[in-house]
Amino acid sequence: MFRRKRSAEDFAEEIRSHLELEADELRSEGMDQEEAHRRARVDFGSVRAARERFYMKSRWQWLDRLVRDLRFGFRSLRQSPGFALTAILTLALGVGANTAVFSVMNAVLLRSLPVADPHRLFYLRTSNPPRGTGTIDTTQTFSYPVYDALRNDKRALSPVIAYVPLSGNKVAVRYGAQPEEGEGDMVSGTFFSGLGVKLSRGRGFTEQDEKDHAPIAVISYNYWTRRFARNPDVLGSTLYVNAIGFTIIGIAAEGFEGLEPGASTDFWIPLQNRPELNAWGNAPEDGKIYTTNPTWWCLRLIGRIAPGVSRQQAVSALTPLFQRAAYVGLGSPMEGEKPPTLGLEEAKGFPGYSERFGKPLRLLMAMVGFVLLIALTNVAMLLMARNAARQREFSMRLALGAGRRDLLRQLLIESLMLVAAGGVLAWLFAIAATRALAAWAQIESSLAPDETVLIFALSILVLAALLFGLAPLRIALAAGPALALKSSAATSNVDAGKSRAAKAIVALQMTLCVVLLVGAGLLIRTLRNLENTPLGLHVDGLVVFGVKPEFKSVPQGIAFYQELMSKLRALPAVESVTVMGERLGSWWSNNSDMTVDGRLPDVPNGGSRTVRSNVVGPGFFTTLGVPVLAGRDFADSDTANSPHVGIINEQFAKRFFPNQNPLGRMIGTGDGRYQMTVVGVVKDHKYRSIDEGPIPMAWYMYAQIPIVGKMDVEMRVHGDPLAILPSARKVVQQMDPNLALIKPMTQRAQYELTISNQILFARLAGFFGLLAVVLVATGLYGTLAYRVSRRTAEIGVRMALGAARAQVVWMILRDSLLLTAFGVVAGIPLAIFVGRALSSSLYGVRPLDLVTYALAISGVTLVALAASAAPAGRAASIDPQKALREE
Amino acid sequence: MPTQENNEDRIALLQGTLDLLILKTLLLGPCHGQGVARSIQRQSEEVLFVDHGSLYLALQRLEDKKLIQAKWGVSENNRKARFYSLTAKGRAELLEKTSQWKKLTRAMGLILEPQGEEV
Repeated sequence: MFRRKRSAEDFAEEIRSHLELEADELRSEGMDQEEAHRRARVDFGSVRAARERFYMKSRWQWLDRLVRDLRFGFRSLRQSPGFALTAILTLALGVGANTAVFSVMNAVLLRSLPVADPHRLFYLRTSNPPRGTGTIDTTQTFSYPVYDALRNDKRALSPVIAYVPLSGNKVAVRYGAQPEEGEGDMVSGTFFSGLGVKLSRGRGFTEQDEKDHAPIAVISYNYWTRRFARNPDVLGSTLYVNAIGFTIIGIAAEGFEGLEPGASTDFWIPLQNRPELNAWGNAPEDGKIYTTNPTWWCLRLIGRIAPGVSRQQAVSALTPLFQRAAYVGLGSPMEGEKPPTLGLEEAKGFPGYSERFGKPLRLLMAMVGFVLLIALTNVAMLLMARNAARQREFSMRLALGAGRRDLLRQLLIESLMLVAAGGVLAWLFAIAATRALAAWAQIESSLAPDETVLIFALSILVLAALLFGLAPLRIALAAGPALALKSSAATSNVDAGKSRAAKAIVALQMTLCVVLLVGAGLLIRTLRNLENTPLGLHVDGLVVFGVKPEFKSVPQGIAFYQELMSKLRALPAVESVTVMGERLGSWWSNNSDMTVDGRLPDVPNGGSRTVRSNVVGPGFFTTLGVPVLAGRDFADSDTANSPHVGIINEQFAKRFFPNQNPLGRMIGTGDGRYQMTVVGVVKDHKYRSIDEGPIPMAWYMYAQIPIVGKMDVEMRVHGDPLAILPSARKVVQQMDPNLALIKPMTQRAQYELTISNQILFARLAGFFGLLAVVLVATGLYGTLAYRVSRRTAEIGVRMALGAARAQVVWMILRDSLLLTAFGVVAGIPLAIFVGRALSSSLYGVRPLDLVTYALAISGVTLVALAASAAPAGRAASIDPQKALREE
Repeated sequence: MPTQENNEDRIALLQGTLDLLILKTLLLGPCHGQGVARSIQRQSEEVLFVDHGSLYLALQRLEDKKLIQAKWGVSENNRKARFYSLTAKGRAELLEKTSQWKKLTRAMGLILEPQGEEV
């Protein structure tokens, strides 16, 4: 089908041979040679026509024609490079932005976990754990006795799998000599088999491994690639986790990055029972770790529902068991206490992403959808304008013998060329943009565009190609061969219907532009508000890092941190150093009830009694730059042997010591076992995140409490804060070669992480708003410029009849201002709707923010004026004589 | 596209018959294009005149349909010529087309020369 059997030369050769044979035969019938040749030729008819027909009938013809059409299309696009470039770039931006946002959405919201039969996997959830328990997350974590009870009942959920991180942050690991940090989970023996995650090498865990607390580890494919360059020898070697050796026995299947929400797990080990490997990296409490402390709800659970069992059936089957196990170590429920309930939540998507990114991503998708709509209509309008301007060219070609089908094919090919070029660019743009998005959103799991994304992008392009193919159709068909001969530029294109359609499209674009600008404006103002929120502390010059040493006793731990602080203080450029149990601005906080003067305080109006607390070192508030309003800061002189002291914030004083002097009063833990005297009141400041409201807080002195473990070190330095890290690392490793600096960064960067979603969201929204403005401007400019050029003769006549230049300019401007007005009127209700949808993402700005609306409206008006300026100027500078003579 | 195919109807009418005549001619043995033309003219007692350009295109078309095959050879009088011969598929086609043609001519005859009825 694709190979031509005969060349045109071969055919010509055959005809030549025919003529010879015929001549021979005629000669043998008695004709002389010359006459014979002549007769043969005459009898044959037109040799050239036969050859031409052979050529036309050949099977290569369609390809020949395609090549010719492509060449012609390329030439004609090159004749108007501005048009071609604008169209291709517009397409690339519109489609690329959509593809990028869609691929993130695809990875984050639509893709299933790479496990066997994900539809039967469910996360276990609870309403509220019983009083007297400590939790990581009030609805998502469970105690060890609950896990133990549920996994032994195999009727409804089998298996029930527990998993828990080795650290709230990252855990210290060592492979070879260099200490590093990694994300590791302790998991049930059924983790890999129960989830149905294959091992790409080696083996997974067994239930026996869990019972034995076996010192073995499985690493993720991603970690294997990133850290070990896919070296197969890594199997069998030792990975040290908190200085305890684990033999690597397997590498998980590619694409499986664990179940931790929004994070990528590097390695898994079976559930352990050593104090150094407590869940979440916590120090043992009274010598108890997660397996032995029944009131610490710290394990996440996931289960596979048995075939044929509904979610409701599973819940009712397990609830009695769950409620019994929930009170292990607590005694029976108190009078009137509502026992916790059990729930199951679908686990087929990637963990935690839906809550974090679901809403912003859907809104972004809507925004880029608007951008795409603008982009597509833009290109369609450009194409229509261009092809309308070429109508006389078409007529000429029709008159010269081209078929309508030829014309149409030519137009389609030109659109296809644009779409193809735009599509390739869009794909490149999408890949880059996806990477940038992933980096901004700090989505650690892989986001490579897959087939779903490709199909999405292709379907947009097909849509575009169809749209662009249909747009010129009408025009091509409207052009008759006679048009070229009888009409002039002035009259050939005054088609009221067509220009009304173009006006409607521009007004629609204006509408979308208003909506996008309002959305972007609201989000950018939110970001401004967040960035300008006073933190209540002097954040510049602060640098923070974590250390997680192992201690045999509490005094050893205190001594370690004392030595560490004094060594760090001795470094040049260091102003002050302190330590803290929970890092500021890390989203983590320790929340509990506290006793005041020996008993739980009464709170009026059913307000919350919850107090946020932290364990900190000497000079904490001085280092942070938080003003001490009354009393004093912690000092080196507060030791294990001196009276226990605590510090509270304004909110605490206001709520629990209204109109009293809190200094000298006693506060303590919820169970009343640890008591301390309030020695200071500090000003409220941001603790967990930037967008939090004030909440009562209390601080313990680290050297006085009976627990010591991982701490974060906060240093105030002169000059670049990060420059101190190499020497700080040296100090830490001199004290313990196993220690890595965990997540070192400036305190400002740490705070900004808490608004990273908002930053990302606002930046993207701003970008898309800007994109929309640029697209609308080019679209409007193109349309107006085209209309002015069509009306050259008309304007010439008007001016010849005495119209002033100002009148002509106003005529053009009035057109675009009218369109803008229409767009704005239609856009405002839509923008109000979008603002409402955004309201939960806003901070310090109302959805009906007048300034934002005013800015958006003046924005589109400016765009309209700017886009009309050049065409209007051109119209005004038309020389009436020339314009009329041209016809 | 500067092609004019305004006589398409006439070619379509000729096509079927010309193809049939070529196949029939080749049933007698391999032959070159000029020979085929001559043979048709002679056998039809010079009634049918074959347009040579159309003949070669028809030959090409039949070759494309694998009804005939061709190779270059030397004629009796030592001229280089392209010789066509019938394939098995061509033979089958000839049989089918011949019977169709006979049916058609019979039907045409019945209508054009009705027996016992005035026109």
